Amino acid sequence: MSTINFAAREINCKIVYYGPGMSGKTTNLKQVFAKVPEQLRGDMVSLATEDERTLFFDFMPLDLGTVQGFKTRFHLYTVPGQVFYNASRKLILRGVDGIVFVADSAPNRLRANAESMRNLRENLAEHGIDVKEVPLVLQINKRDIEGALPIEMIRAVIDPKKELLWQEAVADKGRGVFETLKLVSRLVLERLSKGE
Amino acid sequence: MIEPSLALYGDAFDQVEKHLGDLLESTGVRYCLLVDRKGFVLSHKEALWAPRPPALDSVATLVASNAAATAALANMLGERTFSEQIHQGEQGTLYVESVGDMALITLIFDSSVPLGRVKVHTKKTTLLLADILKDIKDVPAIEFDDDFGANAASLLDDLLG
Ligand SMILES: Nc1nc2c(ncn2[C@@H]2O[C@H](COP(=O)(O)OP(=O)(O)OP(=O)(O)O)[C@@H](O)[C@H]2O)c(=O)[nH]1
Ligand SMILES: [Mg+2]
Repeated sequence: MSTINFAAREINCKIVYYGPGMSGKTTNLKQVFAKVPEQLRGDMVSLATEDERTLFFDFMPLDLGTVQGFKTRFHLYTVPGQVFYNASRKLILRGVDGIVFVADSAPNRLRANAESMRNLRENLAEHGIDVKEVPLVLQINKRDIEGALPIEMIRAVIDPKKELLWQEAVADKGRGVFETLKLVSRLVLERLSKGE
Repeated sequence: MIEPSLALYGDAFDQVEKHLGDLLESTGVRYCLLVDRKGFVLSHKEALWAPRPPALDSVATLVASNAAATAALANMLGERTFSEQIHQGEQGTLYVESVGDMALITLIFDSSVPLGRVKVHTKKTTLLLADILKDIKDVPAIEFDDDFGANAASLLDDLLG
């Protein structure tokens, strides 16, 4: 339980999985939940519609362990990707430390990827954050589907300047899920230790 | 890093604990939590007879998110805030009330406990708590050591391969 004992400070990092609807954000969290040792994670809370689309968020706390006396913990969230739910997405971004942008490799989702990235920029701006200030990694998901777009094409619409670290994934098979989380966590912790 | 918006420790922490304990006794509720707006549990009391509580960090996250959504609704309707939330089930009730702008008090109780009594006592406690919380300062920044990054990275390797 996260009662704050000041003598034993905790470090809490909020990592948000962002991206268009159906790209596999919730699937990432479910895979992490299934694969990390039980004693290191809390319950997974999913606020979803009847048909398993995220309505508000998924949430799961994950303990890294103690780093130099600080109990270090990640709070993993997903946002609802459907355009319709922007008000909720904005709320979830509050206090974010790191973002995983989960892109969909399906040919008919190229535009949705681009629009979701633009939406991320706008929502961060409303919180007074420049997207360049937040650790952000790109996960290119659903590499297994037929006709999956070339990686370069997806990067070109989401990250034309090629500034982001990226990782291929097949999230429902667990491929690339831990790798992605590790990339973003490392960026977040590095940034922390440099005092922002 | 998300930090609790309030650094509750020392004297202030003891006072809050005492008020929550008193509230627990005067109302007869099962659990009583003080949660900040980001979803951290700042303090928690439970009745001696109460069964093991549900995962409190999940409760806190949901209560805070719910309050954030409710506040957004209030805003849209031109209200500054909606001060309280009541969720009544067949067996029990969840009651949430704002403690100033920073925190939320959450009570969980059986349907045999009269809501009116809970409200009256909670309103009183809320004023006392708001008074304590308003004098609390921000948490001082953590000073990270040079090895922090390396140590964290090796833990990440252990956890995520
Ligand atoms: N083929 C394939 N399917 C996947 C992959 N990852 C996820 N899926 C499937 O895609 C569907 C949507 O996944 P979700 O994780 O629910 O998507 P989401 O991004 O959370 O969607 P919203 O909550 O609406 O934003 C599910 O049926 C998943 O099983 C993948 O790598 N390959
Ligand atoms: Mg989802």
